[in-house]
Amino acid sequence: MIDFLPPDVRSRLKGLRLVTRRAVGGQGIGLHQSHSRGAGLEFAQYRAYERGDEPRQIDWKLYARSDKFFVREAERESPVAVWILIDASASMSQADPVRPEWSRLDAAKALTQGMAELALRQGDRFGWAALSDQGLKLLAPATGARQRDRLLLELAPLRAGGGFARDEQLAPLWERIGARDLIVVLSDCFEPGVIDLMERLSAAGREVLAVEMLTVGERDFAFSGGHRFRDPETGEELVGDAPALRAEFLRRFTEARAALHARLARAGVRHAEHVLDQPLDQPLRRLFGAHDAAEYA
Amino acid sequence: MTPGLLLPAALAALAAILVPLAIHIARRSEERPVVFAALRWLRQKPRPKSRLRFDEKLLLAARILLLALLALWLAHPVLSGAAGKAAYVAVAPGADVAQAGHVGEEAVADYGRSHWLAPGFPALKEPVPSGGAPIASLIRQLDADLPAGTPLVVVVPAVIEGADAERPRLSRRVDWRVTPGAAPAMRATPVAVPGLSIRQGDQAAGVRYLRAAALAWQPAGRAADVEIGGVDAALPPVTRKLVRLDGGTLPAGLLDWVEKGGTALAASDAVFPADADRVVVWRDALGRPLVEAAPIGTGRLMRFTRRLAPAEMPELLEADFPVHLRAVLEPAATAPARVSAADYAPATGARHFEPPPMDLRPWLAVLIGLVVLVERWLATRRRRAVSP
Repeated sequence: MIDFLPPDVRSRLKGLRLVTRRAVGGQGIGLHQSHSRGAGLEFAQYRAYERGDEPRQIDWKLYARSDKFFVREAERESPVAVWILIDASASMSQADPVRPEWSRLDAAKALTQGMAELALRQGDRFGWAALSDQGLKLLAPATGARQRDRLLLELAPLRAGGGFARDEQLAPLWERIGARDLIVVLSDCFEPGVIDLMERLSAAGREVLAVEMLTVGERDFAFSGGHRFRDPETGEELVGDAPALRAEFLRRFTEARAALHARLARAGVRHAEHVLDQPLDQPLRRLFGAHDAAEYA
Repeated sequence: MTPGLLLPAALAALAAILVPLAIHIARRSEERPVVFAALRWLRQKPRPKSRLRFDEKLLLAARILLLALLALWLAHPVLSGAAGKAAYVAVAPGADVAQAGHVGEEAVADYGRSHWLAPGFPALKEPVPSGGAPIASLIRQLDADLPAGTPLVVVVPAVIEGADAERPRLSRRVDWRVTPGAAPAMRATPVAVPGLSIRQGDQAAGVRYLRAAALAWQPAGRAADVEIGGVDAALPPVTRKLVRLDGGTLPAGLLDWVEKGGTALAASDAVFPADADRVVVWRDALGRPLVEAAPIGTGRLMRFTRRLAPAEMPELLEADFPVHLRAVLEPAATAPARVSAADYAPATGARHFEPPPMDLRPWLAVLIGLVVLVERWLATRRRRAVSP
């Protein structure tokens, strides 16, 4: 069984719920996690009759054939689908020198599984897509344990490479994302293409949430000595003395991120930040936790 | 005190300092690749000037110091003029230091530069050296050893033993202080005519020449001190000179007698011991050997190289034959070496020789050893960074 989630994170995720603000009032009332059994359009399964079931739920035709009572269960589709968009460009493969086996993409996979578990628990449909210019991987939203397993199976071999997906490659995404779907983008938000996509999705009425995946090196820039910095996507290199570059880089990077946050806020995209040395549930708590939670600062 | 190098070209070995420098250049610099996606915010800064940096500066310093010292060692450093300019006081044995004026008290007070005028120049606080010494030679040696400009004070007794035929000519003016007293006599020089003992054998015809020579040694009117016997006659005391005019192998008794200090002169057909180191002690006018000698024990064994006949050895008939024979039989008497100190004050005008500079290489070698130890300690201590 593929499992990206550490047990402690899994246990801390229990109290969370995926909520969307825009889906309220569309179909049904209350929370949208309606795993409502009973009569419906979408057949789910037969199960044996139990005392207390309404007689009208019994499939009489089946009774005629088998002389046993079966209850026909249907599943109504949840009105909300959760789309998890993973940036699979090469920059996502970056890890920190102190923990080289834990890249941005690994953290993104774990977050994806965490959100899939949340969606599964509350009965929402969930799907995912990996966006890179080497081809789009996409799993249409559905619910159920089988969907989660399929998601994990497809996540496991995912490798980051290339650049971010071009616009024409994103067309299947636009065809499938529903009007009220919740979209969570896991990306380092360095490429302008990601920001454009988030802005356009948000402008098109979807609720878009962004998790900024940062490495410790980008936050602290605690390199010592000379280094040859290489951009994994463009292949450009910069040779420099890290301590001499540090102050300037931190200033520029902070400015750039402040500009990014302002842009996301203008577009109505909520965002949370995840640095690779932080606990995995923290961004989910910020995005989905109670608004008075301590972490939601 | 001027330091100098005898072989300055060896300083080219200083180029070896480049080796530890190259080893210690921080090799990690500029070349550790790092994947960094946020390069675009790093980029616009101008490339920093790459500074040359070194690892383990302390160890590097020790190694550079070691190589520099080795190069210096190869360059053969010397220190010339190491001796000070203080006056050098030399006191001849027998001189009365107390009466040598103010220098005398200074010399007694300051033993550092006061020495006996004796072989090895022992300090003045040592006991008076016994035995005579060639004072003129020692004074010349002092003058040659001392650097130019060092005042030299020589305290001598009124009568000097050990003078030689020439007044010392020195490179400096000597403060020559004569005190009452006499130097101990160098050696008693007995002047005695040697007695001759002749053992005649097959060359008995030569006896007459020997006897004539012995007669010539004596003052006029006195008989020659010659004792003649057969080949097998008893050996004389070792103070007498023995001439053995017989061929063949020398008897063992004779060799024992020579070993005890006797002087024997054998005929030309006698057989010398094979292992004797022979030296020619008398040559004729053409340079051909007449008498050869070999030391045996404490005595001397000699041999004529020709028969004692005027046909073969015309020197027998020369007027100076007795003189030559006596010179062969007796070691040279020492020339008289006693002189009045006042007349023997050294003259000036000799050429000055710079004393050899002090060699600093042994001290440098010790220093190099210490630095090697320090370097090894630094290189092998536990808390070290990786390489080099």
